[in-house]
Amino acid sequence: MTETKSPATPPADATPTTATRGLIGLPLPAARALLLLGGIATAASAFLAWTWTSDFPGDLTVYGYPGGLQWLTFVAGVLTALFALASYGVRGLRWLLPARNNAPLVLTALGGFGVTWFTAIEIAAKLGGLANWEPGTYIAVVASLIPVIGAFALPQEAGESTKETLKAYIAKPEAIPAPQPIAPWIQRLIITIVAALGLGVFAYGIDTQYGEIFIGFLIVLVFAVWALHTAGLLDRFSAMVADNRSFTLAMGFLAAIAFPLTQTDDHYANIGVNILIFGTVALGLNIVVGLAGLLDLGYVAFLGVGAYTAALVSGSEFSRFSGVQFPFWAAALAGAAASLIFGVLIGAPTLRLRGDYLAIVTLGFGEIFRLAVNNMDGVSGPDITNGPNGIPSIPDLKLFGFNFGEAHDLGGFTIGRFANYYLLMVLVMALVVTVYRRAADSRIGRSWIAIREDETAATAMGINGFRVKLIAFALGASLAGLAGTVSAHVTYNVVPNPYQFAGAAPPNSAFLLAAVVLGGMGTVSGPILGAALLYLLPEKLVFLQDKSLLAFGIALILLMRFRPEGIIANRRRQLEFHETGQLDVPETTTLSDEPAVTKAGA
Amino acid sequence: MRGTHRLPPGRKCLRKGLIVRKRSLVILTSVLTTGALTLTACGSRDNGNKSGGSSSGTTLTIGVDAPLSGENSTTGLGIQYGVQIAVDDANKNNWVPGVKFKVKALDDKAQPATGQSNATALVGDASVVGAVGPLNSGVAQSMQQVFNSANMVEISPSNTNPTLTQGKDWQTNKSRPYKTYFRTATTDALQGSFAADYAWNGLKKKKAFVVDDKQTYGAGLAGIFNGAFKKLGGSIAGTDHVNTGDTDFSSLVTKIKASGADMVYYGGQYDESEKITKQLKGAKVNIPLMGGDGMYATTYIQTAGQAAEGDLATSVGVPADTLPAAKSFIATYKSKGYKGDYGAYGAYSYDAATAIIKAVKAVKDANGGKLPASDQLRSKVVDAVQKSDFDGITGKVSFDQYGDTQNKQLTVYQVKGGKWVAVKTGTFNG
Amino acid sequence: MHTLPQQLANGLLLGSMYGLIAIGYTMVYGIVQLINFAHGEIFMTGAFGALTVYVYILPDGTSMWAAVPLMLIGGGIVSVLVAVGAERFAYRPLRQAPRLAPLITAIGLSLTLQELVRNFYPGADKSRAFPSLDATHSIGSVDITDADIFLVCAAIVCMSSLAWFVRKSRTGRAMQATAQDPDTAQLMGIDTNRIIVVAFAIGGFFAAVAALSYGLKYGNIDYRMGFLMGLKAFTAAVMGGIGNIYGAMLGGVVLGIAETLASAYISNIPGMQQLGGQSWANVWAFVLLILVLLFRPQGLLGERVADRA
Repeated sequence: MTETKSPATPPADATPTTATRGLIGLPLPAARALLLLGGIATAASAFLAWTWTSDFPGDLTVYGYPGGLQWLTFVAGVLTALFALASYGVRGLRWLLPARNNAPLVLTALGGFGVTWFTAIEIAAKLGGLANWEPGTYIAVVASLIPVIGAFALPQEAGESTKETLKAYIAKPEAIPAPQPIAPWIQRLIITIVAALGLGVFAYGIDTQYGEIFIGFLIVLVFAVWALHTAGLLDRFSAMVADNRSFTLAMGFLAAIAFPLTQTDDHYANIGVNILIFGTVALGLNIVVGLAGLLDLGYVAFLGVGAYTAALVSGSEFSRFSGVQFPFWAAALAGAAASLIFGVLIGAPTLRLRGDYLAIVTLGFGEIFRLAVNNMDGVSGPDITNGPNGIPSIPDLKLFGFNFGEAHDLGGFTIGRFANYYLLMVLVMALVVTVYRRAADSRIGRSWIAIREDETAATAMGINGFRVKLIAFALGASLAGLAGTVSAHVTYNVVPNPYQFAGAAPPNSAFLLAAVVLGGMGTVSGPILGAALLYLLPEKLVFLQDKSLLAFGIALILLMRFRPEGIIANRRRQLEFHETGQLDVPETTTLSDEPAVTKAGA
Repeated sequence: MRGTHRLPPGRKCLRKGLIVRKRSLVILTSVLTTGALTLTACGSRDNGNKSGGSSSGTTLTIGVDAPLSGENSTTGLGIQYGVQIAVDDANKNNWVPGVKFKVKALDDKAQPATGQSNATALVGDASVVGAVGPLNSGVAQSMQQVFNSANMVEISPSNTNPTLTQGKDWQTNKSRPYKTYFRTATTDALQGSFAADYAWNGLKKKKAFVVDDKQTYGAGLAGIFNGAFKKLGGSIAGTDHVNTGDTDFSSLVTKIKASGADMVYYGGQYDESEKITKQLKGAKVNIPLMGGDGMYATTYIQTAGQAAEGDLATSVGVPADTLPAAKSFIATYKSKGYKGDYGAYGAYSYDAATAIIKAVKAVKDANGGKLPASDQLRSKVVDAVQKSDFDGITGKVSFDQYGDTQNKQLTVYQVKGGKWVAVKTGTFNG
Repeated sequence: MHTLPQQLANGLLLGSMYGLIAIGYTMVYGIVQLINFAHGEIFMTGAFGALTVYVYILPDGTSMWAAVPLMLIGGGIVSVLVAVGAERFAYRPLRQAPRLAPLITAIGLSLTLQELVRNFYPGADKSRAFPSLDATHSIGSVDITDADIFLVCAAIVCMSSLAWFVRKSRTGRAMQATAQDPDTAQLMGIDTNRIIVVAFAIGGFFAAVAALSYGLKYGNIDYRMGFLMGLKAFTAAVMGGIGNIYGAMLGGVVLGIAETLASAYISNIPGMQQLGGQSWANVWAFVLLILVLLFRPQGLLGERVADRA
């Protein structure tokens, strides 16, 4: 039977062109059915046993309920089914697919396929052979393939080549119908739900016990977010956020505070506090790099200055000034002030340099800091920092009689030592975010952007370039110093090693820069997201053992290859360029600006 | 609306087929779910028999924290596999009847914050009974308190900074900061003095040039050697400090040459000392280079080649080839094809893990042959480790009141004919 | 101070090596304004390429006269392939991306290359012995080895042929044009993609020459050798005026000599006893860089824009 063009007129809500058909020649109803049933089957297959031994992490041997990676398959299957239902136009789910496009279906199907096949292959590879597959695994492998077939059978306007067509399948449509106006309280409800969901997803990601499940988690997360993006839902949510900015910030803040309450184990609060420290410093760097456009390759030194200052005045018996013990607020101020002074000292002579000259000078200063601190032990330099031995035994903080070193009970929840510091860092982070947002929206902030875009023009317009850049440098430095004061207390010690240009683990200047660029320069959430990703990736890739750094390096290259403008930034730029009714969002114009693509200032 | 659309016959078929397939899938699923539950039950029981061995099979974990990737990973992997071999031996020989051990190795990348996060991870894992590591003293500082709060034993195979066990005023007024921290490595104080003694009395050297790598281990060692050598009557021709990762030492070599020194003492790891000795001999300065256990590794000889001939290193314990257990350790390490370098700290790691395993046995025996509840197990193991007393592969393993090893046996090795040869073994009580 | 001539020679030799590597930074930067942070690793792979030829291809006992040219070819091929591959697959797709994206790619690439060598080159997780040319000759109070002679000769030959190439050859002049204004150059019929590839290739080859000299001089190589050398070479390129090929060489030599002298003599200055020695040498090197840039913000030879290549 010849499979010719269907005589049926395509449904009104499908892609408009009549001459469309799928890459795989199936009629539309069949494709949709495949998607729906395949999604359900994928989700159902997660309830089967996938292997015979509990040697594979997560214990996938149980019939009746999912475990470990199967949960991710389940979630992906459900998502696929939901989008499939939405494509049928089922009442109550239509909002999932406002543009009625194929991409979300394709992407969720691929997500389910990816995570299921990854698991199946991992089982075979880890346990040695397909013999370790149970019938459930075969079912899952087949079931997760069905929606993919269905997805690529969806009618799609063909491009010039197969590659173009494939691209079209996952492209975000040009125009997404504007949403119905939503009552403000519903908007807030949605934001609350999303914040809770975000907390849940984040907590799940951090808590992943072993690397395989983290990879699976990333696969599902990336495809799910991508699907939501192409469906236009993220844009809608952004618009909602823009209307309720303060509310959203408050919810995000609440979700961050709630994180330790979801944890039973202080280890994850420990990871959380490290991410927050790293993220705070990245946000400080974002002022310098993202807003003012100054490339700083030695930024970690400011974290070090703050940490060393706090350590010296912490009352540690190893400190040069062991008799001195500042209260925390004074130590934090001292750390920030010391960093600020260093920032000005470094900036004043060097900020007249342009672009990459500044980069190497900051790199040089970063190295000078590390080497000097390493040598100032009274043997090969003045006796200040205790040299390579560092300053250990930094006492825990005590604020208003609250000892950070002890676990506290709070309404049935136990808040461990690291959770205490985590909550403190949430406060610091909130402060930094506020400073960042206020600064970015101020006269100074606009001057930074002007300088970044075209220094000559900005100077001609009467902006004192040097002064403005110095302020950026000093502000960024003092925020990093502030984070450093907390980090010294968290790790009980300061040593020179972590404050290097490039290393295998955060924080170091290269990682900080990567967090900013990867997350999205000039945004608030970008560097924090980038920091979380860059902190968690090496941590969770441990199962690759000595190949973990290799995988990490490749991941960096690939991320930049496919997302050169960062994870967050591009989405907002698209909002700017493509949006129809939502351009009147005041904040996004400053926060979403891309760094100069031109060579200005280079 | 769309559902009522008339389909061409072929498509109808296809759709029907799909439903049929789906139906069979449902049937298959239900059959499997209901029927195969029993199968899995069998499977898991089967599994239990295989791994458990005895009826009351408990599995305890020994944590390892070391840099397993990047720069220091060669040494760090030596620690990991040293522990692995100890655990394998314990399981094979059934050292603790009814208890199996496994290794949980975490990578600290030589970063204090990462090491600390690994420590909290190990503390949070209820099956972990003790930890071996870390490699770096700076990392240890951030971990000690975490293990101390959790009453969990930590034994480092390589930390040499005296303050870790003896407090800030270790020279005048020792006091132990953390009762759960032990080490099978000796402090710099012993090795540096022993080396100075051998250089002065054994080699009859008079003028030493002292170099260190500005790391906790190297700077400490070089400082002690410097003091001890002067006390014996020797003179210090000069001192210098290098950075880890340096590769060009031509300026240093010229300085050494001009100083007229008759030996070089290097405090640090083999990564730099193998290059220094090579460049030194390349500039026709034929004086021996001496160092601590950080450069007692075959890599040193392989890399420096002929230039290493005559160089010396001190190491803790008696030479491996005088102890059969040590020989079998090295043979196992090689035959398993483990990565990394067992030379520097592998044997200490083996002994550290063995101390924990033996402590578990002692606790179990004292408790009437069964393990105490997990919340008590850890603190009891700490007490038992404190009382350790057995012959390990580096010599006698026992700890003093500060948690330092009481193994004061040291050996001087010299490169002769492309091999490390023991030239003097003794105890140092200085 | 009787060691001064020897220390100057040490600095000159170290500096020549920096200069050879710095050429790669400066040429790439001059044309695409990209700091190729992975260049240090291109240098490192060149060393392993040369070692491969010596250990796995040449029969045992090959005379060094025959081995060195073959090792240079082997190292050159590897370095050039890596450099051109990096350009083609990592940097070219990012040419329209924000300016910092290629920098992150470079950091990732650097990590990847290091880890590839460490994981998959036999024995590369530790230092590997490299055939060294350590026969020593005394010239006055200065001792130099065969490897040093090779290094100096190679640097001179490389620099003069590059100068000729950039000034006289058609491709070289196209490079100058592209460096000055890529868009106009393209309008004039210059295939800028090709020019960029050539810049990467020349940089890669020079790195391989430096890598071979490094191996012959120090007698061992390891997977980390590129990091510090790359950093210093980048510093040298900036100090000399980034984009200027003579500047790169001059910057390298100045940096090498400054480092050596600082390491040797700073501690003789009254009041600075504790601030000398090799562990402070890098500090003084960077201080010098900052001073140079304060007084000449465009680097030592930065103003000769016409010679940028």
